[in-house]
Amino acid sequence: MSTETLTIARALNLGLRKAMEDDAKVVLMGEDIGRLGGVFRITDGLQKDFGEARVVDTPLAEAGIVGTAVGLAMRGYRPVCEIQFDGFVFPACNQIVTQVARMHARSKGRLPMPIVIRIPFGGGIGAVEHHSESPEAYFAHTAGLKVVAVSNPADAYWGIQQAIASPDPIVFLEPKRRYWEKADVDLDAIPGPLFASRVVRGGDDVTVLAYGPMVKTALQAAEAAAGEGRSLEVFDLRSVSPLDLDPVMASVRRTGRCVVVHEAPTSLGLGAEIAARITESCFHSLEAPVLRVGGYDTPYPPSRLEEEYLPDLDRVLDAVDRAMEF
Amino acid sequence: MTASPRTTEVVDPVPGAAAPHLPPASGQCTVQLLTPEGDRVEHPEYSLDIDADELRGLYRDMALVRRWDAEATALQRQGELGIWASLLGQEAAQVGAGRALAESDTAFPTYREHGVAWTRGVDPLHVMSLYRGVDNGGWDPVATRFSPYTIVIGAQCLHATGYAMGVQRDGAEQAVLAFLGDGATSQGEVNEAMIWAASFSAPVVFFCQNNQYAISVPLERQSRVPLYQRAAGFGFPGVRVDGNDVLAVLAVTRAALQAAREGQGPTFIEAFTYRMGAHTTSDDPTRYRLASELEEWKLRDPIARLKAHLSRGGLADAGFFDAVEAEADELAARIRSGTVGMPDPAPTEMFDHVHAEQTPYLAAQREDFVAYSASFGEGVER
Amino acid sequence: MTHSTSELRSFRLPDVGEGLPEAEILQWLVAVGDTVGVNQPLCEVETAKAAVELPSPFAGTVVELLVEAGTVVDVGAPIITIDVGGGEAAPAGVEPSAGLIGGAAPGGRTAVLVGYGPRTTEARRRPRRSPGRSTDLPRVDHGSGEVPRQPPPPDEGPPLLATAPDMRSKPVRHGGLEVGRQAEAAALRGAAAPAQEAPPGRRGPRPLAKPPVRKYAKDLGVDLATLSGSGPGGCITRADVDAALADRSAPAPAAPAAGGAREQRIPITGVRRHTAAAMVASAFTAPHVTEFLTVDVTRTMKLRSRLAARPELAGATVGPLLLVAKAVLLAVRRHPMVNSSWDEAAQEIVVKDYVNLGIAAATPRGLVVPNVKDADRLALPELAVALEKLTETARAGRTAPADMTGGTITITNVGVFGVDTGTPILNPGESAILALGAVRLMPWVHKGKVRPRQVVQLALSFDHRIVDGELGSRFLADVGALLQDPGNALAY
Repeated sequence: MSTETLTIARALNLGLRKAMEDDAKVVLMGEDIGRLGGVFRITDGLQKDFGEARVVDTPLAEAGIVGTAVGLAMRGYRPVCEIQFDGFVFPACNQIVTQVARMHARSKGRLPMPIVIRIPFGGGIGAVEHHSESPEAYFAHTAGLKVVAVSNPADAYWGIQQAIASPDPIVFLEPKRRYWEKADVDLDAIPGPLFASRVVRGGDDVTVLAYGPMVKTALQAAEAAAGEGRSLEVFDLRSVSPLDLDPVMASVRRTGRCVVVHEAPTSLGLGAEIAARITESCFHSLEAPVLRVGGYDTPYPPSRLEEEYLPDLDRVLDAVDRAMEF
Repeated sequence: MTASPRTTEVVDPVPGAAAPHLPPASGQCTVQLLTPEGDRVEHPEYSLDIDADELRGLYRDMALVRRWDAEATALQRQGELGIWASLLGQEAAQVGAGRALAESDTAFPTYREHGVAWTRGVDPLHVMSLYRGVDNGGWDPVATRFSPYTIVIGAQCLHATGYAMGVQRDGAEQAVLAFLGDGATSQGEVNEAMIWAASFSAPVVFFCQNNQYAISVPLERQSRVPLYQRAAGFGFPGVRVDGNDVLAVLAVTRAALQAAREGQGPTFIEAFTYRMGAHTTSDDPTRYRLASELEEWKLRDPIARLKAHLSRGGLADAGFFDAVEAEADELAARIRSGTVGMPDPAPTEMFDHVHAEQTPYLAAQREDFVAYSASFGEGVER
Repeated sequence: MTHSTSELRSFRLPDVGEGLPEAEILQWLVAVGDTVGVNQPLCEVETAKAAVELPSPFAGTVVELLVEAGTVVDVGAPIITIDVGGGEAAPAGVEPSAGLIGGAAPGGRTAVLVGYGPRTTEARRRPRRSPGRSTDLPRVDHGSGEVPRQPPPPDEGPPLLATAPDMRSKPVRHGGLEVGRQAEAAALRGAAAPAQEAPPGRRGPRPLAKPPVRKYAKDLGVDLATLSGSGPGGCITRADVDAALADRSAPAPAAPAAGGAREQRIPITGVRRHTAAAMVASAFTAPHVTEFLTVDVTRTMKLRSRLAARPELAGATVGPLLLVAKAVLLAVRRHPMVNSSWDEAAQEIVVKDYVNLGIAAATPRGLVVPNVKDADRLALPELAVALEKLTETARAGRTAPADMTGGTITITNVGVFGVDTGTPILNPGESAILALGAVRLMPWVHKGKVRPRQVVQLALSFDHRIVDGELGSRFLADVGALLQDPGNALAY
């Protein structure tokens, strides 16, 4: 068993490398990913080893990155597109929504789109405008796309490989503020399924759901709550679309209370969909309505205010308190 | 703004009534090998070696495609199709381009390239099903090397460029033909496709049918310069060809595809033609163009000129033309009966190809839908 | 062309542009007897802009030109008949249309640029199959969580329309919702084995109940975990909570304690516990004042026997309680403040313009105070029936929870026990309670002489926050006056 301590960034780099070694059809495309190795160094060293045809420094054109990926996929390649920052995915949305998401259905399965669109997402890095967005709801709402959000190095290492191997198009969200956080990764493990949620901390009083950067926040909240005599059960949802909620429902049937946490604005975010599904399926077990902790319904603020905007441990525990008071 | 771009031709941004969308005078930066009257002419850069069989074949192609198009228009008027996008007048541009493709080349059409579909061996009923609302195109894009129709304007150009980048990586001697209209040249993504094609020297040819109108908006609103000159801005050759001259189209497209195959990168071909019909069947062109313009273009009909050339040159007789007519009638009848009798898809098809690997949630939703549908009385119409 | 069968089709004038209601047939391009092919131009029609040729939708023989050239025809009017028998034709009912944007399109739609166009819909549901008819497709178990109803009767009539009688086979409305229902139904089925659901070391699943039931139980101090539910999958219903409340008043067998057999320990549960809590709440919240009045009710007792003989009161019990109740109801009209309650949370006194008259009743399970709703609106016979029913039900221990809430004023009849009077405690939420003692023959000064008269003591306790001494006294005096001389009722 070979275990290494890796950051998420390094885990992604190793995972990409492994995927490219395993399948010659994997082609990486993005701005600054080749010679520079990517603005977060996720693709560091890959162009040197795999060449310019397989690690492509593209022109500055997000629609072009995704649109040409469609053509490459039609030709039998497995493109892995990097969108440099979440806020810059929008020019690519036409190709993502009208072409990538639909080509399989349009062609009745003859033209699959095994495309991965990697996006560093979320805030908390003190950045200027457009570099701290959480656009996952737009993609989760688009039929034909799958959306995954990793929260830790092991899921990053295995998840990127699984996403590349999938025949379906996947928006692969990476929590940029956690890129440098380390954990052990067993490089020989057999990974669990990609589109599955996971309990990351057991508890009895409230079920807390999070994904991506908020998983750590939720875990820290659970630790603080334990000190107050409250036992929180924390889930890393891992797959934003499709949602794997069966284990969550079983948990809510025991705790009777649920809090969903995400950085994205609360209104019409993933929390709203999850709350609806949990209410439909666990109505008779609920002691309190499903509560959501999310960003405010404002554009992401200038960085001096982002700590006010982002859900943090206190906001999560306030929601837990409210759930317990019902 | 007073500065004018330094080009050889600048088009008046507001088309005057005196200059309806007529083709540039023959020879003026426009490749032509067959005049509207049906005479063969030479061009310094492009020539075409073609025998009588091939010529007759081109005529047959265009005549059958026109008949298909007419039948489809009639069927729409009779409620058998939701809409039809007619290619009337553009037969030479499409058949010429389509016949220039090698077997292993791939074409990326818009939604009007029925003539190209014909040359790729696509069954007309597989195009009719799209306009009937039964599916989004019934042909196999892999087997026919003819991509699905793309309704989002210009989106297919990036696909074509990406596909060509894949061809490069395969080291294959193949080319890709991306179709687009005059309106599409304004789309950002189309320009991105040309940037990428140039930057990576991708083996893709951009075939632009300038039929003078994007629904009702004339060419002048899309571009101040003739479209073929755009290519220079991106750094690759642009050629304007008489789009109603099937021989010129064939010659120019063949050359461009060959150049692409040989690694010389992209070419932009502007096929100067005219949309004789409406944008789609419920469009009313009388609202935005003059009948006189239409009359001018009738004199430049693509099929008539080839017919004249074949007759006068003794390359085809009455028997040949009658046989083509009969074949056209038969084709029309088959298309009619096939369309009228086309069954609606099973409603569960909505769920069946959303993903390659279906999700449990969608599978459950499909089950619910089945139960819901079954709860209604039999044979009850909505 | 000879035909073995003749099939006539008529071509109706389509809307040839922009929703014009009519057009002129300029000239016919075919004649009767001509063979026409599909799409062959039949005639020229004039629109606002130009002459338009109309193509034939049918192949066949022209049988009749229905309109003369030069005539203006309404859109939709038939203009030509063609015999399509034996020939190729467009399907029945299909008419050609030159529908431009906004104009008529085939199938009753309106033409748009990009498709068939919108169709008109009707405000009518599609008929459903009747439940129970078998289909090949799987039926989904909807497990709505409601108490299961009777299965529907066998289908004998026309197909069922909107309201399917059986809730369980209520058709699915929306995929997402139904997925939720499936999952919930599955969970409810699975809840029978709760122990299997919990991961090791974690608490098991919670008892199942809808949120309103949870709150109801919580408010009444019922622990759901101690109940078993009668709903699907063991879901606890409101009725279950009510039953638990009623059931628990039965005393448990005495448990021997340190004092041995000389002490009996009775658990404080159910009705007694609830009543005790109510009393404590009332006694220590509202400042109680009790006033007493002794009344000569001889005239009322004589009236009682006369009333009992009246046909409208035949079979009813006309006792002192009924007449005192009537007197109280009349007196409340003059003094509505005694029929109110103190809302601490809202800092308001709520004066009610209806009287839900509570009668304290001793039952095998303990003291309950059921009330007659809108007693002030009942005529005497109705009031008699209501009071009788109320008492019987209470004695049988079957008083419904709804009858035990919402009272506005109460009478407690201690006289049935042979007791004269007392200091009653207010029913929580009310501001007055009248205790009625036993009617005794007592020496009384009547018309200047000492005579034996039927005398009763009334005791009125009231919430001194709302009712001051004067009001309480006046009210009590009015009740007394009505009982002393029932004729006073005419003054009300």
